[in-house]
Amino acid sequence: MFSSASILITTAIFIITYALIVSEKFNRTSLALLGAATMLAFKIVSQEHAFEAIDFNTIGVLIGMMIIVIITKRTGIFQYVAIKAAKVAKGDPWKILLAFSILTAVSSAFLANVTIVLLITPITLVITETLEISPLPFLMSQILMANIGGTATLIGDPPNIMIGSATDLGFMDFIINLGPIVTVIIVAIIFVLKFMYGKELHVKEELKEKILKFDENKSIEDKVLLRKSLFVLALTVLGFVIHQYLHFESATIAIIGAALLLFISKLNPEEILLEIEWQTIFFFVGLFILVGALEEVGIIESMAKALISITNGNLFLTTILVLWVSAIASAFIDNIPFVATMIPLINSIGTMTSMSIMPLWWALALGACLGGNGSLVGASPNLIVAGMVEKTEYRISFGRFFKVGFPIMILSLIISTIYLIVFYL
Amino acid sequence: MRRFMGAEIDKQKFLLKQMGAQVEVINSFMCYVTFNVKNTEIAYCYNVNKKGDYFLERIKPYPEVAGTFKSEEDVINIIYTDIEQFKNATESHDFSLFIDINKKVSKSVREFEDLYLYYNVPHEYTEEIKKKIDEIQKLIKKAKSESKRVYFKTEPKALEEK
Repeated sequence: MFSSASILITTAIFIITYALIVSEKFNRTSLALLGAATMLAFKIVSQEHAFEAIDFNTIGVLIGMMIIVIITKRTGIFQYVAIKAAKVAKGDPWKILLAFSILTAVSSAFLANVTIVLLITPITLVITETLEISPLPFLMSQILMANIGGTATLIGDPPNIMIGSATDLGFMDFIINLGPIVTVIIVAIIFVLKFMYGKELHVKEELKEKILKFDENKSIEDKVLLRKSLFVLALTVLGFVIHQYLHFESATIAIIGAALLLFISKLNPEEILLEIEWQTIFFFVGLFILVGALEEVGIIESMAKALISITNGNLFLTTILVLWVSAIASAFIDNIPFVATMIPLINSIGTMTSMSIMPLWWALALGACLGGNGSLVGASPNLIVAGMVEKTEYRISFGRFFKVGFPIMILSLIISTIYLIVFYL
Repeated sequence: MRRFMGAEIDKQKFLLKQMGAQVEVINSFMCYVTFNVKNTEIAYCYNVNKKGDYFLERIKPYPEVAGTFKSEEDVINIIYTDIEQFKNATESHDFSLFIDINKKVSKSVREFEDLYLYYNVPHEYTEEIKKKIDEIQKLIKKAKSESKRVYFKTEPKALEEK
């Protein structure tokens, strides 16, 4: 049993750390690690328990998939597909916007959505400069689709990786339960985008001709590496599809794929490992220890009790509350720390009540991922794209993003609410 | 930061490849080195990479490409010699004149390039400029033959070129 002083210190460290992360005045990784180190320094958790709190399955999936993407992107396949799509669209801006949006959504379901926007944005800027039109409709669509597409699978967005890792839910569970609703949301958003941007996307015929002159084959850098990458990528996706039947954790699949590709690519591992986003990895490590400390002293259990008393243990109310609170919170604060806190909370609800917590996991996944579209600071792809065009005349300000993103988030949540009510509640 | 740089490079690479270029991106460190020799700033920029080629350029007091070298030691030796020679040169009463002339030579190279690339220059002007350059080179050779050598650790390779 922990003393009230320990609980007070833990709460203070946790709140101060999260508040500073939300303020974005300091580096979030440094803060998370400092918060975790402070928990250790105050002996809130022992080193042994702190290390046990780190979810190495999530870390493994992240590192494994990052390695696969780092190697695959070197082949130039993403640029090839984007240019091919623009040419198939015959340079028509609306068709290009549609093709790039679908490409972003589908790619984001299988690879990190941050990486996808980093790959598609440079090509989008080249295409829109060539067509002499504003890149904003294209970039906004891609951001929205990256966040929505990532919602569909276990590996599409970090919250889903964390949820999958903390539960018995596998890759196919995510596809089966979230795939259909994500598809419906994508179709609905496409109609909204057509309504919003359809009329302004017109260019002269001679500019369209310029797009047709691009040679997509020049983007392919290494055909042998391309074949190897696509082979391993396909194998990895297949591995994810059947990992539950083979009784493999998702990280095992990602690490096997990464190790195989690293070996057969014959690339210098030092260069590949250098490109891993270690800042993100250590951010997760810090958060896991912070939340582990909360669990250790019983704060998570108290929070779960409070939530149950608010909803009277009613599944319908709890699910809808989790969906909307997760989305609104994720629109304005980092969804990773939020989900890291919510996971043990939902587990505690499951332990304390007879409630089936399955709908709560889907509500959390939908809320945390779709909430990213609510504001500019809601998800990493938003900030990445905004950062890339910050020095241009097409700056994506908080207000500019909010006007488009927030209503689209609300629409996505309304569709998700109906889906959860009809199929799970 | 690394993410943005990578995306920017992707865009440039795409455009350059569409122009027909072969582009190779090498992970490297860029080193910016400055010295203050008697109130004259002397600066170098060089690139360290695992590829085996090291590009060195003097940026200040006037820009000059030093060349491509095979090892970091070569780069350090070149800078060492250069600084030592500059320290010697600062003892001269004509040091500021020397700097001024070099700046003008660098500027003239850029101006001539602009002239040639932006205008259809009549042949007689090009011949006239070449004649003036030849005269300057002859003057440098003449000055060399009539001056006392003061630095012996390395050889003046440019002056010995035919």
